Amino acid sequence: MPENQKAMTRKEFLLEMDDILGLRSGTLRGDEKLDELPNWDSTALIGLIVLAESMNDVHISPEQVIGCTSVADLLKLAKVEDNAS
Amino acid sequence: MPHSDDHPNPTQALDSEAKAVRPEIFKEMRFPVDPTTILRKRNSLKRELLAQPNLTPTRIAILGGSTTTEVKAMLELFLLAQGIGPTFYESGYNRYSEDILFENPELMSFKPDVVYIHTTWQNVSQFPDLMESEGEVEHRVRNEAARFESLWEKIASKLGALIIQNNFDLPRLRPLGNLEAFEPFGRLHFLTRLNAEFASYAGKHPRFLINDIHYLSAQVGLDEWHGHTYWYSFHMAVSPTATVALAQNVAALVKSVYGRSKKCLVLDLDNTLWGGVVGDDGVQNLILGRDHAVGEAFLDFQRYVKDLQRRGILLAVCSKNDIENAREGFSHPDSILKLDDFSAFKANWNPKPENLREIAAELNIGLDSIVFVDDNPAERALVADQLPEVAVPEVGSDVTLYAEILEAEHYFETPRIVQDDLNRSAFYKSNAQREAQQSRFNNYGEFLASLEMTAEIAPFAAVYLERITQLINKTNQFNLTTRRYTGAEVEAIAEDPAYVTLYGRLSDKFGDNGLVSVLIGHIAGDTLEMDLWLMSCRVLNREMELAMFDSLVEQCQTRGIRKIKGVYIPSKKNGMVADHYLKLGFSAGDETVEGGGWHFDVPEFWPIRSRYIRRTGNPVDQKSVRDAEAVSAYP
Repeated sequence: MPENQKAMTRKEFLLEMDDILGLRSGTLRGDEKLDELPNWDSTALIGLIVLAESMNDVHISPEQVIGCTSVADLLKLAKVEDNAS
Repeated sequence: MPHSDDHPNPTQALDSEAKAVRPEIFKEMRFPVDPTTILRKRNSLKRELLAQPNLTPTRIAILGGSTTTEVKAMLELFLLAQGIGPTFYESGYNRYSEDILFENPELMSFKPDVVYIHTTWQNVSQFPDLMESEGEVEHRVRNEAARFESLWEKIASKLGALIIQNNFDLPRLRPLGNLEAFEPFGRLHFLTRLNAEFASYAGKHPRFLINDIHYLSAQVGLDEWHGHTYWYSFHMAVSPTATVALAQNVAALVKSVYGRSKKCLVLDLDNTLWGGVVGDDGVQNLILGRDHAVGEAFLDFQRYVKDLQRRGILLAVCSKNDIENAREGFSHPDSILKLDDFSAFKANWNPKPENLREIAAELNIGLDSIVFVDDNPAERALVADQLPEVAVPEVGSDVTLYAEILEAEHYFETPRIVQDDLNRSAFYKSNAQREAQQSRFNNYGEFLASLEMTAEIAPFAAVYLERITQLINKTNQFNLTTRRYTGAEVEAIAEDPAYVTLYGRLSDKFGDNGLVSVLIGHIAGDTLEMDLWLMSCRVLNREMELAMFDSLVEQCQTRGIRKIKGVYIPSKKNGMVADHYLKLGFSAGDETVEGGGWHFDVPEFWPIRSRYIRRTGNPVDQKSVRDAEAVSAYP
C-alpha cells in the first residue's frame, strides 16, 4: 500500500465487496453469512484477497478466506476497522 | 464438468441498468493496466463493456491443464474491450487432452472458432531422468511434442478451429541450479527444446498460433507469475494478477485474427522522434545520436519505429511545423528514419484531428486503424476527444518509455507476417506515383488505361484461403454484407459445389496490389444469392468491381445460373456501397425483406463492362503453390 494511501473504511470495503460479488451497490451490511451470498465462489474469493492486499496492505491466504463463514469474518481478516464508518 | 455459457447476443445478456460505455472504462483496460483494479472491478467493467453495440461474436473453447476460471473471466474482459463478444466453452480441470481425444460431445457441438489450450510446464507428462543421454532426451522431446501434435491435428480435422497454444513457462525452482539450463536432462533445457518444437510446428501451420508464456512469465517475473499459493489452493498455474497479462496477450492474438490490429503509426516530430524543436533549434542542434543519453533513447525509438515499418506498419507524420523544417529534420546524419519511410506526411499548422482525417483518407484506412503518438498531452487530449476511433496511448514525455508503451498495448499484433505486409509501404509509395500520373491526365479513363492493369480473378484457391479469410474479417467499408467467416468455413465453402466463389488480385505497371477482392454466393435453384462481396479500399475507383462482376457473370453462364440476387446489409461503415448493385444494373427487389434484395438476370451474351483491366484466371497449379507457400500463407 502506498504510504499516503489510507486503509479502507468498513463502508468502503463493503461497497467494493458488493462490486466483487456483482451485487447492487449498498447491498452488503456486514452481518451476512457467506453461504447465503449468491456469487460467493473462487472468483469472488480471489477478488477479496486482491482487495485486501492492494487497499489494506494485508496479506491473506486462500485457506484463511475459506475458513471464514461470514462477511464479518472477512472484515476481521482484512483488518477493516469495525467502528470505522 | 465442462461448461459452456451461451449469450449469443451479448448485448441482451446485460443487466437492464447498463448504461452507455464510459470512455474511462477503456482507460482502465489500457496502459498502465493495474491488475488489481481489473480483478476487483471485473463485474462492473464487464457490465459496461457488454453495453457496447455491434460486438463481433466469437466462440472460444478453453482447454485447460489447470484451473481456467480466472483465465476465462479476464480473457472475456480484454476481448470485450476490443469489441469482440466471446462465448466460452471450458474443459474440466486438466481435461484438455481427453476432451479432444475422446471428442467430448459438448465440445464438438459447441463448434468453437478458436481453441485455446492453456497448458503450462506442470502439464509436461515426463521430464528426463537424471544423467539421461542427449539421444534419450531428444527421444523424449519428440514423444512429448508428438503428444501435443496429435491433439492439434485432431482439433484441425474435427473442429477446424484456429488453435492458440501456450508454449512453456519456466518453473520457479531449479533443483540442478545452473545445470538446468545446459545439461540435456535439465528441466529448463528440456522445456526450451519443447518450445522450439512448438515453434517449428507453428511455422508450418498457419492456423496454429503460439501464446508465448515463456516470454510473458519472464516479463511478469516468475515469482509473481506462479503465485504458488494459488496452485495449492485452486490448481491455478498462473496467479490472478499474472492472468491479467496472460489474457491481454491471448486477446491480442484473437484480435489480430479478427483484423482488429492497427495498421498505421502516426508520429509527431519535435520531442517525439528527436529531442528539441527543429524549427527553432535547427537540424544540427537536435538531440539525436549516440553522444547524448537522451539522444540515444530517441535513436532507439526511431529504430523501433523503423522495425515496425519494415514488418508492414505504415508510418505517417502529423506535426505542427513548417513543411520544409519538418522534412529537414530527417536529414540529421544520425536519423534512422528517412523521408522515404513515411507513407503520408502532414506538417502544417492545422488542428491535428484534421490532419489525421486527411492521413486516413490518403491511405484509404479507417481512423480506427491509426495509433497516434505525440509527446504533447494537449494534442493527445484533443485527438482523443475529437477522434475517439484513433488509439492515443498515454506515452507521456519520456522517450525511453514510448516503445514500451506501444508494446504494452499490443496494437500491432499479427498472426503472420507475409509478403503483402512487407510490400505495403512500397504499395503506398507506388500509389503516390499513380496519383502523380493521374494529375497528368485530363480524362480519368485515360489515366486508368495508362496504369496497364491486370487482374487475376478465379475461384478460391487453397494458397489464398488465409488471405481471403483475413480480408473477410477486416474489410468494413467496401463490404456489402459485412458477414464474417472463420478459416474453416471459408475452406468448406471453397470446396462446396453449391457455392460460387471468386477472388481478385490486381496489379499494374507500378506494382502488385495483392489480393483485394472476394465474392461468395450460394446457389439456390437457378439463382445465385450473394452472401459476400468485398474489396479493399486501396483499389477504389479502379473499376476492379466491374472486372469482378464480369467474371461473376461468366461463372454464372458457365454453371447455368440464370439470376443473381444481390444483398446489401447497411452497417455503420459500408455506406459507400449502398448503391453498388444499382450501379451494376440490378433492379430493386422487396424492400420489406432484410437486406432489400437486388435482382439481375444473367444474359446469354454479356458485353464486358471492365474497360481498363485485363483479366486472367489463376495461372498456377494450386496444390504445388499451396505446398510451396504453406509457411507464409497469410499473404
